Amino acid sequence: MLLVVTYSRAARATLRNVCSAHETTVVRRFGRAALLRETEFGAFLACRLREKHGTDVQVEQTTPLNEYETVPDRVRHAAAAYEDRESASTPYTAFANGRDHPDPAAMRDEEL
Amino acid sequence: MRLVVGETARSGEAVDATDLTVAPAALARAAAGEAVDGVCLDCPEPGPLHDRVGVVREGADPPLRGALAAAARSLGERAPERARLERVRARLADEEQPDLGLAAARRRAAAAGEEEVRLRERVATLRGRVDALEDAGATEARREAETALAETTRRLTEAETERIAAEQRLDGLERRARELRDRREERLALEDRAANLARAARAHLAETVYDRFRAAVAALPGDGDAGAAPGDYEGDPTLAALAVVRVAAPEAPVVVATDRLGGAARTADRLDAPVVRVAPDAEGR
Repeated sequence: MLLVVTYSRAARATLRNVCSAHETTVVRRFGRAALLRETEFGAFLACRLREKHGTDVQVEQTTPLNEYETVPDRVRHAAAAYEDRESASTPYTAFANGRDHPDPAAMRDEEL
Repeated sequence: MRLVVGETARSGEAVDATDLTVAPAALARAAAGEAVDGVCLDCPEPGPLHDRVGVVREGADPPLRGALAAAARSLGERAPERARLERVRARLADEEQPDLGLAAARRRAAAAGEEEVRLRERVATLRGRVDALEDAGATEARREAETALAETTRRLTEAETERIAAEQRLDGLERRARELRDRREERLALEDRAANLARAARAHLAETVYDRFRAAVAALPGDGDAGAAPGDYEGDPTLAALAVVRVAAPEAPVVVATDRLGGAARTADRLDAPVVRVAPDAEGR
């Protein structure tokens, strides 16, 4: 899908108008951002916004995340184990410490 | 004020232009100091009030709250939000918005990628031809094909280098754009704050003159009910616009394109404002 995020009042107003006028192309609206269908028409709307408001409009091409494909096992297992923890108040860093889970700083530095 | 249309010149606080071929909007532009062919209106500079009710004509429906706020300002009223609003606006004016040239960088990266794909296909074709000619034993033609292959391979290497450079440049710019968007986000919050303060200031100012507005509505011809507070007005929009002018103290003339208050002098008197009266259906320059 195409994620469009606006960074000025004018760009946000245009996005709002575009979204109301082309509901079938809008997958989801979030205030000053919207997800558009990845069709030529969706791209047409995104390009129009970019043309009109320049860098006040951010457009990203998104794909659904398949964690079984893209995310390393150790990261996925850590997430599953942490969500299954016994004490809800344990922060992740403490939880990972002493167990065989990756530490947050190391994960932050590692691109997917 | 002094109005000159073509060869005709008139002056005073109430100018009758009902017999002249001049459109109300042209008069408003001339009052604002814009060059209008054949029309000259020498008068004090129009204020915010004139953006709202600088021209009053039948059927026009200006946003009342903004008009009332402008009327209050012309009377010297000041909103308590004013100082904060000015500070927020000053901060907004300080922010520069650098143009990173992202669109050009995207275009270059895309073009470099296309060129690389094209050359890669050409190399594959030439390689196939060299093999085929070798199998056929055509030595001379094979040599020519080998030369072309070597040249195209060299260009492919260059294109790869160029594509990588373009992608790195684009990556760098996108990183920079993400940092700038943090600032834009703050800017957007400031813009929202400025808009909220301006709305609050308008509401406050409109409130300060609402009793006077209600009295003006009652004193002028037309059907309208001011109600208790700004936003409650119901009825004839032209009456509301005229009542706003009557409340306000404009220095620059208001262009009145309705005859419901009478001629120029009578209209200026009832509105207690400098007036240029034009015919309701006036057209022209």
